[in-house]
Amino acid sequence: MDTTQLLKGVLDLAVLAVLREEDGYGYDILRRLREAGLEEVGDASVYGTLRRLFAAGLLTTYVVPSESGPHRKYYSLNAAGRDQLARSGKLWRSFATTMDSLLDDRGLAA
Amino acid sequence: MTVTEQEITDYVARVRAALADLPTTQRDELTEDLADHLTEVAAEAEGTLVERLGEPETYAAELRSAAGAEPGGGRNLDQRVATAVVRVRGRLRALDTRLGPPLGYATASDFLRLLRPGWWVLRGYLAAMLVTVISTGGSFGLLPRFGGELLAGFIMLVGFVLASIWIGRRSAQLTRWPRSAVQVGSAVLVVFALSSLIQAEDRMRYGDYGIDPASINGPYDRVRDVFVYDSEGRLVENARLFDQNGDPIRLGYPDCTDLADEYGKPLLRAYPYCPNQAPFGPRAPGAVVPSATPESTSTPGSTTTPDPSGTSTGQPTVSPTVTPSPTPSGAPTPTATG
Repeated sequence: MDTTQLLKGVLDLAVLAVLREEDGYGYDILRRLREAGLEEVGDASVYGTLRRLFAAGLLTTYVVPSESGPHRKYYSLNAAGRDQLARSGKLWRSFATTMDSLLDDRGLAA
Repeated sequence: MTVTEQEITDYVARVRAALADLPTTQRDELTEDLADHLTEVAAEAEGTLVERLGEPETYAAELRSAAGAEPGGGRNLDQRVATAVVRVRGRLRALDTRLGPPLGYATASDFLRLLRPGWWVLRGYLAAMLVTVISTGGSFGLLPRFGGELLAGFIMLVGFVLASIWIGRRSAQLTRWPRSAVQVGSAVLVVFALSSLIQAEDRMRYGDYGIDPASINGPYDRVRDVFVYDSEGRLVENARLFDQNGDPIRLGYPDCTDLADEYGKPLLRAYPYCPNQAPFGPRAPGAVVPSATPESTSTPGSTTTPDPSGTSTGQPTVSPTVTPSPTPSGAPTPTATG
């Protein structure tokens, strides 16, 4: 099991969480995820996740013209997205706690 | 910005092709923003898209799993062909870059591009040779001739080579139909060149077939077998013929297959190949000997023993006097066998 495989399950949550603090465009979101420590996340994964969350109605988009480069498509959380983030976040917390205690009980160092 | 519009368009096209098995709406949904997104990516960092994002097919696979789009069950033929074409193109591109370094170039196509002017010249020559074959009517060598005229052929050669170079240099600007015509013409010339090569190869290898050229297109080309008779009219078996250099003279071809040679080389066998097909029958014992020439009877041993070393200046005479006795049809012989 490597990080890539773990990421598959939680990338939705990570993207939603990153967008909660501030709207962002694709590459910007990727950069923020990497800065947060998810260095192995791939561009296609983020792009695909954004497309899927958008199709699921959790995100809205708007285009910001840029004078220095190309126009950028910004993604922002809508109400449904925030709701989803709250639920997924709670689920992850409990799951992570369960896993932590499971490993702690068996004496595995963090 | 180091990434061109074209590169982005190509990348998107290959990602879309790799997702060809998805339903069209889903694929459009996934990729409608991809060009914009890649433009953003290109604006952010250095290097080509492939360097930064990996091969489009890999990107598509990652995109597919992240977007939760599993391959659709009902793939139609178009989509499968599109996927196959993309895969073949990818393979060829990989092969191109892999074969380049051993040749001393970045890609094999870089190397091949350098050879193009050489091909243009060769193409002009091949076109001149094709006209030579058509106008001269089949028999031709390596030099172009127009209607058998060498000078006219050379003028034609120069003209064709110059025209071929001119076409080659302008091929990038040609529109679709002229370009297709040039490609078809080049293909015809390549086929013509290959078939001519095979013909020339056959002609050069002719001697290896073991048939003496003297028996081809010569006065002996109807000879199938050789029967040697001694002065007594007896059929000489296992006779061998040699020329003044001691080289064996090979005539005919053994068509009586029941007499196989122990070495499996029928043409090295002695004459006659088929003794039972001798034109004259055996003399009956006691029949009248026809008048023989004196010199032949004086040296009977030397007639069939030539000097194979070839150093002797004497000419081995195989059969100085072929005086076959006619079949004993007229002679009343009670002991005749047949």
